[in-house]
Amino acid sequence: MNSSMIEFRAVSKWYGSFQVLKRCSTRVDKGQVVVVCGPSGSGKSTLIKCVNGLEPFQEGEIIVNAESVGAKGTNLSRLRSKIGMVFQHFELFPHMSVTENLNLAQVKVLGRSREEATTKSMALLKRVGLEAHAKKYPGELSGGQQQRVAIARGLAMDPIAMLFDEPTSALDPEMINEVLDVMVELAQEGMTMMVVTHEMGFARKVAHRVVFMDNGEIVEDAATEEFFGSPRSDRAQLFLSKILQH
Amino acid sequence: MFSGYDFDVIQRSLPYLFRDGMTFTVTLTLLAMTGGIVFGTLLAMMRLSSFAPFSLVAGSYVNLMRSLPLVLVIFWFFFLVPYIGGWIVGAPRPIAVGAFWSAVITFTMFEAAYYCEIMRAGIQSIPRGQVAAGQALGLNYWQTMGHVILPQAFRNMLPVLLTQTIILFQDTSLVYVISATDFLGAAAKIANRDYRLVEMYTFVAAVYFVISFALSALVKRLQSRMAIVQ
Ligand SMILES: Nc1ncnc2c1ncn2[C@@H]1O[C@H](COP(=O)(O)OP(=O)(O)OP(=O)(O)O)[C@@H](O)[C@H]1O
Ligand SMILES: [Mg+2]
Repeated sequence: MNSSMIEFRAVSKWYGSFQVLKRCSTRVDKGQVVVVCGPSGSGKSTLIKCVNGLEPFQEGEIIVNAESVGAKGTNLSRLRSKIGMVFQHFELFPHMSVTENLNLAQVKVLGRSREEATTKSMALLKRVGLEAHAKKYPGELSGGQQQRVAIARGLAMDPIAMLFDEPTSALDPEMINEVLDVMVELAQEGMTMMVVTHEMGFARKVAHRVVFMDNGEIVEDAATEEFFGSPRSDRAQLFLSKILQH
Repeated sequence: MFSGYDFDVIQRSLPYLFRDGMTFTVTLTLLAMTGGIVFGTLLAMMRLSSFAPFSLVAGSYVNLMRSLPLVLVIFWFFFLVPYIGGWIVGAPRPIAVGAFWSAVITFTMFEAAYYCEIMRAGIQSIPRGQVAAGQALGLNYWQTMGHVILPQAFRNMLPVLLTQTIILFQDTSLVYVISATDFLGAAAKIANRDYRLVEMYTFVAAVYFVISFALSALVKRLQSRMAIVQ
């Protein structure tokens, strides 16, 4: 049952002579939620962007749903269309209405008709509580609303997994929960998720495992209770004590 | 004070000046603008390409065009285009292109270099995350460019593109070197025929000024309206 959806095998990446990722190995099983945390600059964003090939890597292998991401024959566009991604700064398309944001890739990549796509989009907007804003432009929405639209945009592609890169860190505090609520619900429905976040409450609630990174290395990779109960490494302990203070 | 001048010549030649001359000027401007923006955008995409030969070729083209005097380019193309055209279609002799189409091709090629630099700045002004978002949804390069990046770049750069078009509108008067009958050319013909140089050239200058000034004012209004939207 616990077959892997995303698997990193000794992945290394360099920017010039600077090594950002150092032989990183970990996996996300189907239906599981893995939270990635660690200090700024430790390589979390880089790691998660390797999953859908937004960042190339030089060594190792990443297998997504039995397909090797870096391999020559892999159709990256097709693979990406099956993996939803949510960014820190939302990255909605500002020149398109909310519905158009959700429709674009459904029509252009999946080949759905505009009616089919709109039906799907409206259902998802309703699900994230934004059906009333379907005709608005991203600039007319609050940060929390924009991020919920971004999640809906990812879901519109019927993804096999969702990637989140600090989805709440650009939000005002009072908007964080409306986004986390959507993510918790998604996790509870069994979506496979890889989430870079410092929201430890979210991690405790839904994560199956927590991965701690420092300096491009995966320092700790443990079941959630284990990670919060007794982190093995000093670095993770230090990080946790700092982050749990506030 | 104006004795000895005959401003009636203007009124008499208005139909010719506008129906022939101005039509040529406006059509040339619009065609060269459209062609120049399309070609310039392709050049901009090539310049920004990570594939070195593309950026090298596009960069050299832009730099070459921008370091040549326009008059020279118009002159050369007028003589070269028939030969190049003949060579392309495989005709044994140079093909007759005519002053108008020669001018359209010349201005398209020349202005593309300037539109390229504008569109390049426009593309670079779009946050890199937008490309990532497009790609993450499975859009390929052309889809990401066509649906996500270029519409935003174009919109951000619209005032600058229009300003460049006003310059193009004025520059089209240089087609006099190939004896084309644009607005200035038409006026020059009347001026020489009737010995009314002062009257005609004053009138031509006034018309260019009014049109360019009105368009500039329009661009300014557009700019301030865009600033409010953002
Ligand atoms: N394009 C790049 N060129 C060179 N170095 C880069 C580039 N992108 C990132 N880096 C470096 O790689 C390291 C890891 O960056 P990354 O963005 O993955 O960190 P992060 O863990 O996501 O940090 P944060 O919490 O600030 O988002 C950093 O030291 C960063 O400066
Ligand atoms: Mg990051």
